[in-house]
Amino acid sequence: MAITSGTSSHSTASHSPATHGASTLGATPRPEAPKPSGLVYLGLGGLAVVAFIIFWITGVSGNILLIPLGFVTLWAPLYPVIGLAVMLLTLLVCFRARTNTMGAFGALAFIIMSYWAGSTVNFTLLEIPERWSNVEPRLMAFLDPNWSYIWTVRDQWLITLSMAVVATLIGCAIGLVLAMFASPVSSPNKGVSQAIKAVNSVIRSIPDVGWALLFVAFIGGTAHGLGPMAGVLALLMFNIGIVAKLLSETIDSVNPGPVEAADAAGANLTQRNRLAILPQVLPGFVSYGLYVFELNIRASAALGIVGVGGIGSAMMLQLNRFAFENVAAILIALIIVVLLVDMFSMYIRRKLL
Amino acid sequence: MITFENIDVVYPNGFKGLSNVNLQINKGEFVAIVGLSGAGKSTLIRTINGLVPFTSGTLTVGDDVVDPRSKAKLRRLRSRVGMIFQSFNLVTRISVLNNVLVGRSAETPTWRSLLGWYRAEDKELAFQSLERVGIVDKAYMRASSLSGGQQQRVAIARVLAQDPEVILADEPVASLDPPTAHKVMRDLRRIQQELGITTIVNMHHLDLARSYADRIIGMRAGEVVFDGPVEEATDAIIEEVYQRSLTAEDIVASDSATQGTVTSAAAQD
Repeated sequence: MAITSGTSSHSTASHSPATHGASTLGATPRPEAPKPSGLVYLGLGGLAVVAFIIFWITGVSGNILLIPLGFVTLWAPLYPVIGLAVMLLTLLVCFRARTNTMGAFGALAFIIMSYWAGSTVNFTLLEIPERWSNVEPRLMAFLDPNWSYIWTVRDQWLITLSMAVVATLIGCAIGLVLAMFASPVSSPNKGVSQAIKAVNSVIRSIPDVGWALLFVAFIGGTAHGLGPMAGVLALLMFNIGIVAKLLSETIDSVNPGPVEAADAAGANLTQRNRLAILPQVLPGFVSYGLYVFELNIRASAALGIVGVGGIGSAMMLQLNRFAFENVAAILIALIIVVLLVDMFSMYIRRKLL
Repeated sequence: MITFENIDVVYPNGFKGLSNVNLQINKGEFVAIVGLSGAGKSTLIRTINGLVPFTSGTLTVGDDVVDPRSKAKLRRLRSRVGMIFQSFNLVTRISVLNNVLVGRSAETPTWRSLLGWYRAEDKELAFQSLERVGIVDKAYMRASSLSGGQQQRVAIARVLAQDPEVILADEPVASLDPPTAHKVMRDLRRIQQELGITTIVNMHHLDLARSYADRIIGMRAGEVVFDGPVEEATDAIIEEVYQRSLTAEDIVASDSATQGTVTSAAAQD
């Protein structure tokens, strides 16, 4: 075949591999996969042993593993030994698969961290069977929901939905403005961007329930109930934090070309952001708005616990009365509503993008 | 008239973009700037509208002295100096007309831009600009649905909507195929002649520079090493500018040769 240049010979070869080298395939020696350093693996093994010793010393579990060897019976703490076995096994698999040392270290670190975190809060799956007698009657009540109850709390549903809608709309609007100031691409200068980012971090560091508690304490109930006002404000802060963060990161990665063109046409900052940046981030913005709406529906159930009204309060009330069949009905309705909202937002997103 | 007096550009990282450039570009001239990549062509062009601030020297555009530190002055200057880019830099998600109206920003109150509620006379100006580049029928189409040549013409219309005294074009045809490149260059040349707009174009294709420009400026390592009418820019002179012999990559191919062969692309345009 005629080979005129590198690219054309390449394309010919890829189109007809059979004619190119049926006889030659397999003849070229394969390069050896790079061997990970045995020394580093030895060091990782040492790390596993050190972690084992620390787990042993700090462990509080009294479970002992007895290893009868015939002439003498060894004993060891059960959980640290299991941990050590898992760690060494992982290292062995990594070594056989020639994982590079960074990957093996990552795997080891994952095991050590999860063991440490789990043991700190005494997390164990073994207790679930022990407590089964406690769980069973409630689970039975949950499995037999009181369907007729769903309709009696429709007013609470309306409050929840309204809270979510209001918080989403206002939160997205404020979040958009904050995001424009937060991203160095669209903000007037670096100082403003840093300051707004800091404010944003503070807003996000307080969880939604935290905001609800604050607003319930500050505002309390209104003429319209226990505290939908506080609930809306809490969701609002929650939404501003999320939208501003996600959207400012979207703005960071916007195509700079149109922005430069708007600058070159003499547009001012507001015009530039409106004309060159907003159209580029609009699909992302809408999608974040739908996302926080979905979060709001879910969050309003949790917020009911601190008494801001809506379906969460209804659920809390039934929970306090041990009416698990009613709680189950609300939970199922919540799942259905969230699913519907999710489907709706997926539909909108598909239409928009 | 644009005058460079001892202009230096030093980038924040210490790289010297331009060194001691002295130039005088007359009103209504069509100037092509040639040079290898990294020679400072883009820097030279972007200095004129302040997208790249110069670090020393004096630069005047018309009667105004360019002051890179004053944002308000720069905006006024930029409203009179239009710019065309290699990658068109359109907002692809909005309509062609709205892209052209971006060129009216300097004359439009901010609240109108925010609402997207443009004055009728601004819209008419945008339509006229689209008419000049022959794509007025595409006004309400999404910019992303246009071909590359059409998109570059929208970008030219955006510049025309500014009613500019100067058009700067940074490699305007580098991402277009040869016949489309010639079309866009012909549009630029025609507009320069009809409206008397000073036009400064960066290019690395020597044949395009020779067939459309009045004057060629050669750059190397941030310095102007050749400046003269097209007739003086012989192959020998350009080889001196490039410091290497000319190759096939320095030309786009002749206009007449490509026009006949690539009829389908031309028909699409």
